[in-house]
Amino acid sequence: MGEVIVITSGKGGVGKTTTTANIGAGLAKLGNKVVVIDADIGLRNLDVVLGLENRIVYDIVDVVNETCRLKQALIKDKRFDGLYLLPAAQTKDKDAVSPEQMVKLTNDLKETHDYVIVDCPAGIERGFRNAIAGADRAVVVTTPEISAVRDADRIIGLLEAAELNDPRLIVNRIRLDMVKRGDMMNIEDMTDILAIDLMGVVPDDEHVVISTNRGEPAVNNETAISGQAFMDIAKRITGEEVPFMDLEQQDGFFDKIMKLFSFSK
Amino acid sequence: MGLNNLIEFKGTKKGIIIQMDGDVSFAQIIEALNVKLETSRNFFKGAKVIGTEGRNLVVKEESILAEIFSKEFGMLVTSMKPYAPPKREEQKKTAPVVKAFDGLEEGLTKFVRGTLRSGRSVEFEGNVVVLGDINPGAEVIAHGNIAVFGSLRGVAHAGAGGNESAWVVAQRLQPTQLRIGSLITRSPDEDGGPTSPEIAYVKDKHIMIEPYL
Repeated sequence: MGEVIVITSGKGGVGKTTTTANIGAGLAKLGNKVVVIDADIGLRNLDVVLGLENRIVYDIVDVVNETCRLKQALIKDKRFDGLYLLPAAQTKDKDAVSPEQMVKLTNDLKETHDYVIVDCPAGIERGFRNAIAGADRAVVVTTPEISAVRDADRIIGLLEAAELNDPRLIVNRIRLDMVKRGDMMNIEDMTDILAIDLMGVVPDDEHVVISTNRGEPAVNNETAISGQAFMDIAKRITGEEVPFMDLEQQDGFFDKIMKLFSFSK
Repeated sequence: MGLNNLIEFKGTKKGIIIQMDGDVSFAQIIEALNVKLETSRNFFKGAKVIGTEGRNLVVKEESILAEIFSKEFGMLVTSMKPYAPPKREEQKKTAPVVKAFDGLEEGLTKFVRGTLRSGRSVEFEGNVVVLGDINPGAEVIAHGNIAVFGSLRGVAHAGAGGNESAWVVAQRLQPTQLRIGSLITRSPDEDGGPTSPEIAYVKDKHIMIEPYL
């Protein structure tokens, strides 16, 4: 029996879809059977980020309306053995699916997969309620920005009200140089307000933009630091204890030179 | 025999109430009515029938009786339904005087355990004690005092019913907005924030904040 994990945030654009794609791919690389579900009906992105857009024949709305069988809608990712995608519909909207239908869907998928990762849309309305309906656990993604943290706090309150207790936090797109200057919130400020356990920290990385455009999840890129961070998160999901990356060591070349000449503080 | 007692015409100020025995058959009622007709056909001419009592009638029975009352007795039938006296006029309610909550020393208090996350709102007509933080986007509206065993980072409104003697105390007083009674204030813009518990209260129509403990 697998686990259903919902990746949510409240705020849009913080990296839920990127996280879903990379965690899904990471878990598959670790040998698990994974299905990632795009619950953002009408504004689907997970298929694009995974580079599977042109293989979509059926989508989640077809499945709940029983236009096709569940298996027909699942797209097997050829790069990651064990990874499947259930895409959203682009020509419908979030009223096309109900929470009850989502529960049935995720229950069915739990039987045949180790992990079911649901990419939740932004917001707190129907789309959100659909995405969390069948979830066993929740992961909240936020960026180190005050508006994202506000929204994350709201979302955590709603998750707790829906009895999805003990959500975990992923802080995405952190920039250590800005944190050091005091221009960006640090992790403690965020966990102080949000008061949930940290599951991962992903530094801001140009590679994410490149990999999204190519449809290649960053976990596949050995040199991408974001890929490493997502891989660590995937391992933590399976229960493995992975120490948090020391981001200090990821100084760029210029910083290293500066340190050499002791110009930096 | 007492056929007369099976149906009686009870006179009231408003009109005649037809009192009937509920245990006998309808046929017996009719028979009793016919007997009454023999003795008092014209007595009730022009009188108003305003209702019935003592017996449940079906619609057919109602119309049969109504016909007899109007045709044979010359009465005016306004209702054959069970008579219900009109409700006494409701006493005019005076508008309740809203008294500001005055239990600031000893009074009704609500305890909230845990942190109030963004979006939550607690309203209470008394004092409120929060055993946790109040996050930005959350609010507490109390008619009495507000005490926070944690960081107050959201909105707190004490003395919401109009009592400006209410106070707000927190381990870290950093509200987005603070209100006591009808006065509003906000945290100063300098960063850092308070380092010790603080209390906010009204003095000379201003909200004062000073260290507490």
